[in-house]
Amino acid sequence: MFGSFIKKSRAKSPWIMHFDCGSCNGCDIEVLACLTPLYDVERFGIINVGNPKHADVLLVTGTVNHRNKKVLKNIYDQMPEPKAVIAIGACGNTGGVFRDAYNVVGGIDKVIPVDVYVPGCPAKPEAIIDGVVVGLGKFAQKVEEAE
Amino acid sequence: MDTLILVIIGLVAGPVIGGLVAGLDRRVTAWFQSRQGPPIMQSFYDVAKLLGKEKMVVNQWQILCAWVYLIAAAVSVGLFFAQGDLLVIFFVQAVGAVFLVMGAMSAKSPFSQVGAQRELMQILAYEPVLILVFVGIYLVTGSFSISAVWELEQPLLAKMPLLYLALGYALTIKLRKSPFDFSTSHHGHQELVKGVLTEYSGPYLALVEIAHWYETVLILGLCALFWSTNVFWMAALLLGTYALEILVDNTMARMTWRWMLKRVWLLGMGMSVVNLIWLYAG
Amino acid sequence: MSNLLFLLILLPAVAAAVCYFVRSSAVRTLTVLATGAILTAASLALLGQETQPLTVGSVLGIPSDFLIAVLDFALLGVIFMYGVKHKSLLIQGFTLAQAALLAWFELIMVKSAEVPAFAVDQISLIMVLVVSIIGSLICIFAIPYMKEHEEHLHLKKSRQPQFFFFMLLFLGAMNGLVLSNNILWLYFFFEVTTLCSFMLIGHDRTEIAIKNSVRALWMNSLGGLSFVIGMMLVYSKVGTLDISAILAGGPQGALMVTGVGFLCLAGFTKAAQVPFQSWLLGAMVAPTPVSALLHSSTMVKAGVYVVLRFAPAYSGTLLSDGVAVCGAFTFLACAALCIGQSNGKKILAYSTVSNLGLIICCAGLNTPLAITAAVLLILFHAISKSLLFLCVGTIEQAIGSRDIEDMRGLYAKFPRTATITIIGILTMLLPPFGVLMGKWMALEAGAANIYVIIMLAMGSALTMVYWARWGGLLMASREAGAAREKQAALISLPLMTLCLGAVVLSLASPWIYNSMLAPMFNAPPFALSFGSLNAATGSFAVVPLFLALGLGALYAVKAASGFRKVKIVAPYLSGSNAGEEGTYIGPMNGPVPFSAGNMYLGELFAEGKLTPVFNALAVALIVLMLGGAL
Repeated sequence: MFGSFIKKSRAKSPWIMHFDCGSCNGCDIEVLACLTPLYDVERFGIINVGNPKHADVLLVTGTVNHRNKKVLKNIYDQMPEPKAVIAIGACGNTGGVFRDAYNVVGGIDKVIPVDVYVPGCPAKPEAIIDGVVVGLGKFAQKVEEAE
Repeated sequence: MDTLILVIIGLVAGPVIGGLVAGLDRRVTAWFQSRQGPPIMQSFYDVAKLLGKEKMVVNQWQILCAWVYLIAAAVSVGLFFAQGDLLVIFFVQAVGAVFLVMGAMSAKSPFSQVGAQRELMQILAYEPVLILVFVGIYLVTGSFSISAVWELEQPLLAKMPLLYLALGYALTIKLRKSPFDFSTSHHGHQELVKGVLTEYSGPYLALVEIAHWYETVLILGLCALFWSTNVFWMAALLLGTYALEILVDNTMARMTWRWMLKRVWLLGMGMSVVNLIWLYAG
Repeated sequence: MSNLLFLLILLPAVAAAVCYFVRSSAVRTLTVLATGAILTAASLALLGQETQPLTVGSVLGIPSDFLIAVLDFALLGVIFMYGVKHKSLLIQGFTLAQAALLAWFELIMVKSAEVPAFAVDQISLIMVLVVSIIGSLICIFAIPYMKEHEEHLHLKKSRQPQFFFFMLLFLGAMNGLVLSNNILWLYFFFEVTTLCSFMLIGHDRTEIAIKNSVRALWMNSLGGLSFVIGMMLVYSKVGTLDISAILAGGPQGALMVTGVGFLCLAGFTKAAQVPFQSWLLGAMVAPTPVSALLHSSTMVKAGVYVVLRFAPAYSGTLLSDGVAVCGAFTFLACAALCIGQSNGKKILAYSTVSNLGLIICCAGLNTPLAITAAVLLILFHAISKSLLFLCVGTIEQAIGSRDIEDMRGLYAKFPRTATITIIGILTMLLPPFGVLMGKWMALEAGAANIYVIIMLAMGSALTMVYWARWGGLLMASREAGAAREKQAALISLPLMTLCLGAVVLSLASPWIYNSMLAPMFNAPPFALSFGSLNAATGSFAVVPLFLALGLGALYAVKAASGFRKVKIVAPYLSGSNAGEEGTYIGPMNGPVPFSAGNMYLGELFAEGKLTPVFNALAVALIVLMLGGAL
């Protein structure tokens, strides 16, 4: 019974770590907009935490470059399982308009596995919330596969 | 036998009440901010999820300290329900507080180190106030045992109004509310990250959270003693106090430990001493 | 019983002489070990004895009282000589005054009457146990310690004979002091401890050691002077040298109570109460076993013993309240001064003075509950504090520093020492251990006095802070397969014994109370049931708490010991961790190693600024206290 409560709780308490990997801040503002009373993601138990060790979901905005790819990897590694990664915006998905720049590695998935891609430039808050919901479904699936 | 039953009730009901209070707190806070807020049961979801996460530590001290924190908090609530000695209850609770700090200091993380030092400042601030509150209770009832409080015919609040206000400081610090939330900020995406809690993760964070619920129950129980003669007034007192806490939390900025020490030691201790003088004289 | 008493007092003196004259290190080691074993056995054997006052007739045909009187003057002569040697007018003045007053007292005032020289009661019994067992363990610890200590100093000729001479003599003197029933004998042993401590503090003969030892000597000579004055005033009223007779009489008028006040003042100097704390802080320059001996089981305990011993003689007077307030003030002041310290030995010194203040405060409160608290505090504080001193000594020899900031992460390299130190710290500040229980009793007893309780409440919080942060910074990660820590057998024996003793005796405290303390009172403060101490004012459930917290802690230790199976990650450093734990990639792409420091609240608790203020306040309080006797 307790096991199933834990399983149920996973979907009800996704704590999010937001990492700006070199975004123009457009997507970041949209991520923060989700917390405002208008969208109020805390309704779903979502909390924006600042620490990978407490996070379930990693939201990454912006392109990865050679400087910050280590940081991105390190933060991902410090998140305890089960976890999900959501790439946000055109840059996060593919590198966007910066993909050919000399210092850019590309999208998030060049460094860490990504579960959900949320498109947009910037991504809309609704799309981000939707992305998190899809991500939760994915990681419930992952947990089940692991068991 | 009755004591044993009471203790068991306390140990079981403690986290349930503590979790519900935390959920309600978030709900009311959301209401203040014209949001809907999470479900009342949210704290339980959070803790259950944390319990189901991968175990991950920096070193063994964190496991040790998280467990001892929980056990000490539970024992102190157990003692409270067993109508034990107030000072002993408080010192047992301090075991947990000390271990939480020591666990945070065991990790080479600047965030948890800073958090640990600030947590110590909080202990420094609230401990004398709490001891003086207990002394006040002793002066009124003639005993440090909680059982003596139930035999009163007049609520403690009538004799110790200023001590109750001073207790408010301790309550705010212990509940980790603004303006005294500088050892572990409410919101983790700030300069301190999560302060003293930064390095506790997964199930161990869950243990710390449950321990915090116990502490919430303990300190609310302490407030409840101030109107021991009538259940309804007791409930009203608790509700009013907690509502005030939430209001303070939402309207205050986070202040520094210097500000806290000054406030609590001058105002809190001052009020306590004045009230104690009344009690000694009367 | 008489044989046991002589064994306890004279054996250390004989062993001391052996150590001094036989310069072989093997003989010395053996002598110290054997003395330790015999003292321990003798003190335990004393437990089961009938207690009755004992008269010492004559030694080799010389009346013993006369012998003591001669030795008294010889001792004063020696101290005076050192005063001349170190050009200290204070020492010379105080000793001359003492000698003059003593001569007047012994020749003119005292009508010779046979007084039992020794008596054993509950308090002295506990003190004998503390001195004999803990003191012996410290002396044993000193054997390997002093060897290494001298290797560091590159001495041409070993000075260990003198060292062990005074260490062992000290034990004998302490046993004599606590067993004395004749106040003149008490005074004699009091002076012996003064001389021994002077010699031990100055043992290393560095400039600072000599300076500090001279300071210790003049402060304690002042104490001696105060003792003589007190003795004369008391005698002039009650007309007997018999301490138990003096105590049985209770307070008898202003003159006698003033005398007792001077005796308390003597105790204050010995116990290094504010404003006399500086000699004890200065004593830190001595080798660590000396500090352990001075601070935990002897010297300072002699001071509190005197105050506690005479408690019945001033109960119910204003002097009693004065003693309580002075003690509480020392408790608070030294806890506040301690917050600002990072030197491990200084922290221990301040915390010792602070705890002694608490004990003296209890003596001043003078209720059965408070006296119980005082005796339990003496016992448990001695165990935990000597353990911590020995730990700091071991750490100092391992890492070459006594600064607690340098001890950060000690567990990584010295897991054994670090763990024992952490346990030692926990026994000092947390329930269900004995020191905290004593503090709890003190708080409950002090609640009747508003000045006392406010100071105790604040001091208690400060105490929590300086211990917790020290314990926390010792903890650290340890690499799998790191080299094991080696500890010499004679180092680990005292450490383990004291560590175990602190835990086991705390568990046994209800029975210790019942068998040794309760008989002292007509109305014992506690009733014992299910291993918990119950009183009308409150109860401390020792055994249930031990069970709940102990089993919980065991479970926690078990959970923690399996940590290698858990995923181990580096601390969160905003994602820029570099190779080693705590190191991060900083400016110029270079690694920045971890560093941290405690908050010492320099702006609030600066030693330099606070000490003069506290000293002035304390002097005022002492004047108030002595005035209260009138």
